[in-house]
Amino acid sequence: MKRAAIAVVAAVGGFAGVLGFNLGGSRAPLLQGAGASTPPATPPGSSSSASSSSSSSSSSSSSSSSSSASTPPPAGVRSALGNTYQYGYGQLAVRVTLNGSTITRVDTVGLQTAESYSQQLAQQVIPLLRHEVLAAQSAKVNGFSGATYTSEAYIYSLQSALDKLKKK
Amino acid sequence: MASIVHAEEVMGTVVSFHLEAPTLAASDLAAAVAEATALLHHDDETFSMWKPQSPLSRLRRGELRLEDAPPEVSEVLDLCEAAGTLSRGWFDAFALPGGVDPTGLVKGWSIERALAVLVDAGVTSAMVNGGGDITCHGAAPQGGPWRIGVRHPWRLDALAAVLEVDRAIATSGEYERGRHLVDPIGRTGPAPASATVTGPNLTLADALATAVAVGSDEAFEVVAAIDGYDAYLIRADGSEASTPGIRFVDAETDPSPPR
Repeated sequence: MKRAAIAVVAAVGGFAGVLGFNLGGSRAPLLQGAGASTPPATPPGSSSSASSSSSSSSSSSSSSSSSSASTPPPAGVRSALGNTYQYGYGQLAVRVTLNGSTITRVDTVGLQTAESYSQQLAQQVIPLLRHEVLAAQSAKVNGFSGATYTSEAYIYSLQSALDKLKKK
Repeated sequence: MASIVHAEEVMGTVVSFHLEAPTLAASDLAAAVAEATALLHHDDETFSMWKPQSPLSRLRRGELRLEDAPPEVSEVLDLCEAAGTLSRGWFDAFALPGGVDPTGLVKGWSIERALAVLVDAGVTSAMVNGGGDITCHGAAPQGGPWRIGVRHPWRLDALAAVLEVDRAIATSGEYERGRHLVDPIGRTGPAPASATVTGPNLTLADALATAVAVGSDEAFEVVAAIDGYDAYLIRADGSEASTPGIRFVDAETDPSPPR
């Protein structure tokens, strides 16, 4: 039972780490709350960028970068659709909604799976991924060993959506 | 101060870069990442088993002699032999008829090459993650060692453990996409659920993780005896074993060690 608790904390932290890079100066709201003990990885004024490529024929491949992270986050509710990414058994894309710099909503769109078994897996794991993104509070894990294909596709689509919002 | 997160689709997976370079301009860091990713694509072109015209595929078909192949091919085959010896045969790139299969080693080797490009360029904190095979350099962004979650072999929503690593970590298991591991020796008992190896170099860690994923406890004992390398094994029945150098990170709410 002790190990299960570790797993939940660690998985949440992993997404916070990923999100922290992408939100740059606007990551602070994500990190507030119980358990936030790690300082941001990217100090203000540094540059942060993310780029990606997708092999999906049904989505546009894009490369994006964003410059200064020291600009204050824009106010208001904004949303953007991330790139479609292939994962082991299908493809997915996420739409992210920000209020100011806080992620208020993450929706999975365009989920396609190659077979019914993987669809079952995706339907189980995606609500958990969404919960972890929304609940992310501290950067406890830097990466994952042993591939989690659904998670990777989800994270990269989320990254690309956040990049699009940062550029606006 | 420049930092970057980059994800590149190559070698049938996503390779992600998390980099910090305090002395580099952002444009110089981006150029270094471009050079590193170009090297990954180059290695993929050389060693792909799925591309019929790759030098490795042509070598396997007997259409290309080793001395006529790019020099990296000889280098990787030598490393495969060395890994075979070190693993006492549990990693065997030459086990199957049809020619050498360096798949269990070449991704780690290529990721190490990409990291070397970045370190040469001035990157001081780096994590390069090739679909779960990871090599790190310097301190993690939060300071200190890198914290790597090891995927739970059966539960997609959980991690089996979080480990502290300074350099390389590779996890292998039958649950992986497209991996049908060959047992060159014949282990006693069922295949393990998950095999993780940490150490100073991802090339060997990758090969040794493959070895433990095939040989379970027998290969685990072999890795335990290799200087600098450690193993974390989850057996088919869910029981676990780890060598003394595996550093488990505990949940903050529970300061006692996990075992």
